[in-house]
Amino acid sequence: MTPNMHNRLRPPHEAPTVKPPRFRYARPETLDEALHLLAEHGDEARVLAGGQSLIPLLNFRLARPEVLIDITMVEELRLMAVENGTLRIGAAVTQRTVERSEEAARACPLLTKALPFVGHLQNRTRGTVAGSIAHADPAAELPAVAAALDAVMVVRSSSVERTVPAGEFFFGPFTTALEPDEILVEVRFPSSGGARSSVVEISPRSGDFAIAGAAGLLLASPGGRTAECALALFGVGGAPQRLTEVEDHLKGRRVTSGLLDEAEEMTARTALADSEDIHADAAYRARVAGVLVRRAVEEMAA
Amino acid sequence: MTARPSFIGAHTPRVEDDRLLTGGARFGADVSLPGMLEAAFYRSPLPHALIGGVDPSRTAELKGVAGVFTAEDMSDVSPFPDFDEHARPVEIFPLARGRVRYAGAPIAAVVAADRYEAEDAVDLLSVDLDPLPPVVSVEQALAPDAPRLYPDWPDNAVIEWPVSNPDAIAEFDRLEDGAFTVGGRYEIRRHTGAPIETRGVAAEFREGRLTVWTTTQFPHIARTMLSYCLPLDESDIRVVVPDVGGGFGVKAEFYVEEVTIPWLAMKLGRPVRWIEDRREHLIATCHARDLVLDLEAAVGPDGRFRAVRGMAIQDLGAAEMYPYGFSPTFTAVGHITGPYRIPHQSVGVLAAATNKTPNGAYRGFGIPEAAFGIERLMDKAADRLGLDRNEIRRRNLIGQEDIPYTTSAGAVVDSGSHRETFEETVRVAAERREHWRDRLAGDPRIRVGSGVVNYIEGVTPTYFMTTGHWTSFDSCSIRVNPDGTAVVSVGVSTSGQGLESMLTTLTAEALGVRRDQVRIVMGDTDRTPYGLGSWGSRSTNVASGALREAADALLGKAVRIAAHLLEASPEDIEVYDGSFEVRGSPGAAVTWRQVATAANIRTMDLPEGVKPGMEASASYDPPGIEHTPDEYGRVNAAATYTNASHAAVVSVDVGTGQVRVLEYIVAHDCGTVINPQIVRGQVVGGIAQGIGGALLEQLHYDEFGNPLSTSFLDYHLPTAAEIPPMAVLHFESPAPEMPWGAKGAGEAGIIGPAPAIAAGVEDALSEYGIAEITLTPITAPYLLGLLPSG
Repeated sequence: MTPNMHNRLRPPHEAPTVKPPRFRYARPETLDEALHLLAEHGDEARVLAGGQSLIPLLNFRLARPEVLIDITMVEELRLMAVENGTLRIGAAVTQRTVERSEEAARACPLLTKALPFVGHLQNRTRGTVAGSIAHADPAAELPAVAAALDAVMVVRSSSVERTVPAGEFFFGPFTTALEPDEILVEVRFPSSGGARSSVVEISPRSGDFAIAGAAGLLLASPGGRTAECALALFGVGGAPQRLTEVEDHLKGRRVTSGLLDEAEEMTARTALADSEDIHADAAYRARVAGVLVRRAVEEMAA
Repeated sequence: MTARPSFIGAHTPRVEDDRLLTGGARFGADVSLPGMLEAAFYRSPLPHALIGGVDPSRTAELKGVAGVFTAEDMSDVSPFPDFDEHARPVEIFPLARGRVRYAGAPIAAVVAADRYEAEDAVDLLSVDLDPLPPVVSVEQALAPDAPRLYPDWPDNAVIEWPVSNPDAIAEFDRLEDGAFTVGGRYEIRRHTGAPIETRGVAAEFREGRLTVWTTTQFPHIARTMLSYCLPLDESDIRVVVPDVGGGFGVKAEFYVEEVTIPWLAMKLGRPVRWIEDRREHLIATCHARDLVLDLEAAVGPDGRFRAVRGMAIQDLGAAEMYPYGFSPTFTAVGHITGPYRIPHQSVGVLAAATNKTPNGAYRGFGIPEAAFGIERLMDKAADRLGLDRNEIRRRNLIGQEDIPYTTSAGAVVDSGSHRETFEETVRVAAERREHWRDRLAGDPRIRVGSGVVNYIEGVTPTYFMTTGHWTSFDSCSIRVNPDGTAVVSVGVSTSGQGLESMLTTLTAEALGVRRDQVRIVMGDTDRTPYGLGSWGSRSTNVASGALREAADALLGKAVRIAAHLLEASPEDIEVYDGSFEVRGSPGAAVTWRQVATAANIRTMDLPEGVKPGMEASASYDPPGIEHTPDEYGRVNAAATYTNASHAAVVSVDVGTGQVRVLEYIVAHDCGTVINPQIVRGQVVGGIAQGIGGALLEQLHYDEFGNPLSTSFLDYHLPTAAEIPPMAVLHFESPAPEMPWGAKGAGEAGIIGPAPAIAAGVEDALSEYGIAEITLTPITAPYLLGLLPSG
């Protein structure tokens, strides 16, 4: 194994225009190579996929990894397929690829509905689905989509592979069940083709991280009552959160204006709203979470 | 000499665009010199601290480091001179000396082979800082036991200018006829211009001469300031301005890096460059606004305003900025009456130093703040009376019969279309509001409203109230080469706003040359006559005044030469499109090339008494400008006044509080329009920035003085998605005293959006009877807080 190590990322012909701290760069071509490098360097290494979060952190010198392991050339991580009712997305698959995939849209309409909210087109062209989930920004859409869909994370180290359900994956802001020697190699989204789905969010500008958002899935019975329902918030707390109490309240009922009032009130009351920043306080996030859940349910029931 | 088709007002493409749009421009970061080193700064991580010492020993391990420098090394550098007689003295040193007063203040400069290495070395510096308690608001700054930023001062007030005008106060003492008062505290939060190109400086010192490339809006002022700070004669300094990717006022400050980088080049004998990164830009380039207008108006029962009084209170940041950051607050006071007949005013100024990035200039320069205050008060007074918000403006607006009108702030409004723009805007806004109400009627979450506001803007102002030093003139020099091409060099300096086009058009107009025969030279102190640069919507006015005088001198001479060559009388000569013709004799013509060849080469062809050469220079100081206010703050600080009416049609999501501007209408009058496309671009761009300020932008600090908006992730500039369609209606009231009747148009657009959007939001939410909107940005959380829950 001879990883392609460079001292610096810089164009050969001119002075550098970006200025991250020193790091070594490896671009393995197999997953085994990548995992071995990660095993060797542990928490001194960072895995680089689309780089939409990591590269700005490097250029601001807020992240200082010794080694970057670029997994975008690992062929086996570029897989996207629907198999046995599951949409499998490898770690190197870009958001834009999924956004444009009719197969993905049929299997997981919630995912393709959420993708246009992720950054701007340019970000999605490089950013990966798994990268966003592994980064676990509390305001990001895709972790909440994973939570709503009960996605399963396939995680590997050089010695072992394990799976982690979304409900056990996100610990808090930028914190997940991933160990330093592990790579999130694949995300498996159970197909939800028959259900209605909705993503609603409020963000200061188009393309910004959300101040608050809700992703939902709703399957109505032939009689018009809610048979299955999943609701997840993002931006409101430190990690994506499922609103199980609201979901249970909706199940078996018809969506009426009164029920929407109850869902709104229940969300505002039960949501764990502890995200506070310069853009909004927690009280705003809790109040708007209720409004957004109401709108998501209303849209899915329409 | 007779009339000919005019270039003024013609739809001609911008002459600079081919170069700018095809990668031909050379910006600050494109300046690359043989043997060049690069600099990075260690900037204070603390908002307020004493500097113990800087230990560079760990940087020795880096081979490319040429040196680490602090204030102690710069003993041959003078602090910026302080010219202001009214404010407390502030000594500005290129690198912080003894104390830092904001997070971002440069403490050490590191020079290395490239920026990577320089940044690596910055990381390895050990800097001993002894934290001091921070001051993060005006209230804190003025508390009796507040920590002081400047230990020699008795408190943290940088300038206090209380005004007590007895005529104004008397109006508040006699309210017996049904008159009443309205008041409020109107607040525009902390902004910055944020041009897409950050700042950059490169310098080279060779054979006793210093050349400085810097992204400035005022090259000659920069050169003079360098001569004050460095041990060099002004003749030994050349300042060159590369193409500048936007200025918006933040590049009309003279920055400490503009001294440090040249000094490093002199010290090291190697060219040195520094390019600001975006994080530096948001903490080391000047901030702006952060102004509270605490206002009260005395209003008659008929809605006519009788007097305004109050205070303009500014959070000035650390005050280490030149030209002075409190100047926009005086400009706000100078515009506090807007285009309204408010006979008396008494508004003072108080600016306090805090541990934040120092304030400076930003497009609008106090006038957006003033418009927000007075327009909010107009709305409030109308509501109090139960009068239509448009009607109260109608009753207070200046009309044609009032012009020239001297406002109670001292502004002499020489021309305008204040009622005309207003009525047109009201008409269009009403129509558009109905259109949007119909269109969005099916959405129960959405309310639609509109607001109409007015303003005047003093353009081409004195610089004396901003610098305490420079005043208001500018210069132009024209040389016609033997081939008939005209080289026009001016003291104003472009940052992308289209000055080449404007000057090309005026030169063609004034000399009768073709537009493609004109070359404009700007932004190089060795190649241009002294001038004060481009800020304050001044370039068109001052450059055109100087250009016209120089061109007239040349044209008089050229006509005599042409008449001689054509054996005709000078009175019969017409010039247009590069040639001189004899009126009534088609075919009898000489070209500018022939005339210039006679003047410069074949001097035997000159008529008797005409000297060789075809060059002329002129300077121009706009008439009527006053440089200092009287005791009540009254001053006619500008050469002329533009006016405009703005309307925003907005939607509000009542569930989330989110505001969208659906459509924007502006009726704008900047006198004679020289290039409609450029004026439109300036107005539309200004409105876009104004929408950013009204809804999105704020530089946040935490309670400890740490800056929180240090990237575009957190400083929210509007994107194209947030900018609505705009209707731009041009009115033209030529300025009687200005060349060609033109008035500057650079800043106007940014003034109206905040009050127009605030009024539109209140209109949209009228059924809820929400509390008055008194601050911007009107974020969704702020607005939802005004709405009842549930």
